[in-house]
Amino acid sequence: MKKRIILSLLIASSLFADAEIDAIKEQLQQQKEATLVMSTKLSSLEQKNTNQSASFSQNAYLPDMALILNMSAVSRDVENSEYEKAAMPGFIDEGEMNFPFNKNRGFNLNYAEVAMHSVVDPYFEAFANFHLHPNEFEIGEAYVQTTSLPYSLRVKAGKFKSSFGRINKKHQHSWNFDSQPLIYKTLFGPDSISDAGVQLQWIAPTDTYIMFGIEAMQGTNGRSFGDDSKNNLYIAYLKSSIDIGDDLSVLGGLSYAHGKNTDRKPTDIYGVDLTLREQLGSYSSLIWQSEFLQRNKELTSQRDRQAGLYSELVYQYNNNYSFGARYDCITKNETDLSAYSGVDTDNLERYTAKIDYKPFPMSRLRLSYTYDRSKVIGGERKDINEVMLSLNIAAGAHGAHDY
Amino acid sequence: MKKILLLLLAFTTIVSAALRVETTYSTLGAITEEIGGDLVNVHVLGSSKYDPHFIVPKPSLLAKLRRADLLIMNGGGLELGWLPPLIRGANNANIQNGAKGFLDISHYIPMIDVPTSVSRGFGDVHAQGNPHYSTDPYMVPIIARAIMAKLLELDPDHEQRYHSNLEKFSYRWQKYLEKLDAKMKQCKDKKVVQYHELFNYFLKRYNYKSYGNIEPLPGIAPSSKHTIALINSIKKNKIKLILQDVYHEKRTAKFIASKTGAKVIVIPHDMGADGSKNLEEYYSNIAKKLCR
Repeated sequence: MKKRIILSLLIASSLFADAEIDAIKEQLQQQKEATLVMSTKLSSLEQKNTNQSASFSQNAYLPDMALILNMSAVSRDVENSEYEKAAMPGFIDEGEMNFPFNKNRGFNLNYAEVAMHSVVDPYFEAFANFHLHPNEFEIGEAYVQTTSLPYSLRVKAGKFKSSFGRINKKHQHSWNFDSQPLIYKTLFGPDSISDAGVQLQWIAPTDTYIMFGIEAMQGTNGRSFGDDSKNNLYIAYLKSSIDIGDDLSVLGGLSYAHGKNTDRKPTDIYGVDLTLREQLGSYSSLIWQSEFLQRNKELTSQRDRQAGLYSELVYQYNNNYSFGARYDCITKNETDLSAYSGVDTDNLERYTAKIDYKPFPMSRLRLSYTYDRSKVIGGERKDINEVMLSLNIAAGAHGAHDY
Repeated sequence: MKKILLLLLAFTTIVSAALRVETTYSTLGAITEEIGGDLVNVHVLGSSKYDPHFIVPKPSLLAKLRRADLLIMNGGGLELGWLPPLIRGANNANIQNGAKGFLDISHYIPMIDVPTSVSRGFGDVHAQGNPHYSTDPYMVPIIARAIMAKLLELDPDHEQRYHSNLEKFSYRWQKYLEKLDAKMKQCKDKKVVQYHELFNYFLKRYNYKSYGNIEPLPGIAPSSKHTIALINSIKKNKIKLILQDVYHEKRTAKFIASKTGAKVIVIPHDMGADGSKNLEEYYSNIAKKLCR
C-alpha cells in the first residue's frame, strides 16, 4: 500500500514537473516574442527620434523679415518740372527740395523696404531697414538694442531714427498721412532726425508712465545741423502718459535737440507733442495728435527763429475704414527772406484729408486730398491741389508697431 | 513717531514682498490669483471687452510691465499684434522671452486645429493652432499647475502655500466640473455656427459641432457671398444657434438669424467679457447660454 502511494506520488510529481517545464518553456517563448516586439518598436522609435536634421542647419535662427512696398497714383495741378522747383520761403530754396516719395504726376514706386529683426543673444536685439528706392539703396536704420540691462535702462546703438517728438521715430508707412508734416520736412528733410549715434532710455518706477531719454548723434542732417567734424548733436526728451478711465489715453512729450549747424554755430530745437486716443471699440477709435516745433538757429550773419505745427484727427471707423484730417502750418518765420521780396511769405499752410481702406491688417489703400498753400514756384506763391491713391503692403514677418 | 515710521516701513516691505504679476487676459489673471493668493499682485493688460488679438499697446501698460516680476501670456500667436512692442519698450529684463519671469501658457496646452500649412492667403491663421484654449474649463487645472510651477520657481520660500492653494483650488474645480458636466449632459442640440473660431475648445469638450464661421477667413470681415453660403448651410443642417462674441459687429449674425430662424447668443470669450466676476460664473454663463 505504502509502495503504491510512493510510486503514484513519484509519477504524479514527475508529471507535474513535466507540466511545469512546459509552462516555463511557454512563458519563455512568450517573453522572447514580447522582447522581439519591444525591440522592433524601440528601434523604429529610435529612428524617429534621432536627429534627422541637416548637420549644419541654422534655419531656426533666421531673422524675421518683411517686404514693405509703397506706391501711388498722383493727380496734381502742377507740372512735374514745375513741382521740382518748389521752394518754401525761409526754409528750402528752389531746387533744394528733396522728393523721395510721390513726386510725379501719374505713377510712383516710392520704395521697397526690407525690414529685419532678430534676437542676437540673451543681451541684444538687432533691427535693420533697407530702403530700396528706384535708383538708390539706403540703410534706413541698422541698430542693436539691449534687452536685459538693470534699473529699466535700455541702450540703442547704430544708425536709427531719433525718438525726438512723436512722429520722428515712426516710419513713413506707419504715419497717419503719407506726406511728412511741413515742420518736419522743413527742419529735417524727408528722413527726419536719423543718424549714427547712441541712445539711453530710462523708465521711472512709477504707476504713471514716465520715460526719459538722451541721445548723442553725429549730426549729419544739413538742414538744421550739419557740422559733423565730430559728434555734435545731443537730444533729450521726456514722455509721459496717463489713462483717463478705461478708454481714453493721453500721451505727451517734451523734446530738445542741441546741435551745430553748417556755420559751426548752435542750433536749438524745442518740441512739444500731445496725443489723445479714445478707444470706441475693438476696431474703432478717435485719435487727436499734435506737435509743435521751434528752431533757434544761430548763423554767422543772422539769428533765425522758426516754428510750425501740425494737428491731425483720425477716426478709425472699423477694421477696414478710417478717416482723417490734418492741418499743418508754419507759425513763425523770422529769417532772411530778402530773396522773396514781393512774394507773400506769410501763412504757409496745408490741409489734408484722407480715407484709408484696409482689407487686411497687412495691406492699405489710401485716398487723400491735399490743398497745399506753402509753396513758392518760379517766384510766385502757388497753391497746389493734389489727389493721391497710395498702396502700402507689409508682407512677411513684420512686427507690431509701437503705440 | 518712531512707531509710525516702523509700521510704515513694515507695511511697505509687505507691499513690495508680493510678486507683481501681469497677465495678458482676465481668465489667466483669475487663475493666478487663485494660486498666488495674497502672495501675488495681479494686473490684467488686455480688457476682456476688446478683441484679444487687437489690444491697444497703451504707454500706461509699459509702466505696469516695467515693474513686473512675472508676465503670464496666453501664447499661440494671440498676443503677436500687441505684446512684443510692450515687452521691448518696458525695459524690464525679468520678463523678456526666455527670462525667468516669462511664462507662455500655450506651451502646456494640447493645441487643436493646428494647420498643416500656413499662409496669410488663408487669413489670420495661427501657425501654432487655435489659441483660444481658455474657453475650455478643463484647461483651467493645466493652467493652474503651470502657474504654480512658475511661482515656485520665482518664490521658493512660499512653496507650502502655493501647493496648498493649488490643492484647494483643484478640489474646488473638480467639484465644479462635475456640476458643469451634469448641466452640459442635458443639452441635446449640438449644432452651431460661430463668428470666429473662438469657442472650438469648449465645443469639442462637450461634443458640439461647428458648421462654419460668419467671417469667411480668420480676421476677414464678412462678405455677402460667404454669408449666403452660411445661411444655406444653416438651413440644410437645421442649425439653431449662432455664437456671437462681445466685440465683433452683430449686424451680420442678426441678418443670418432673421433669414434662418436660428438664434444669436452672445458668448463671453474671456472672464469678464459678459460681466462675470469669477471663473465659475464665466464658464457657467457659457454653459447657460449654449444649453437652454
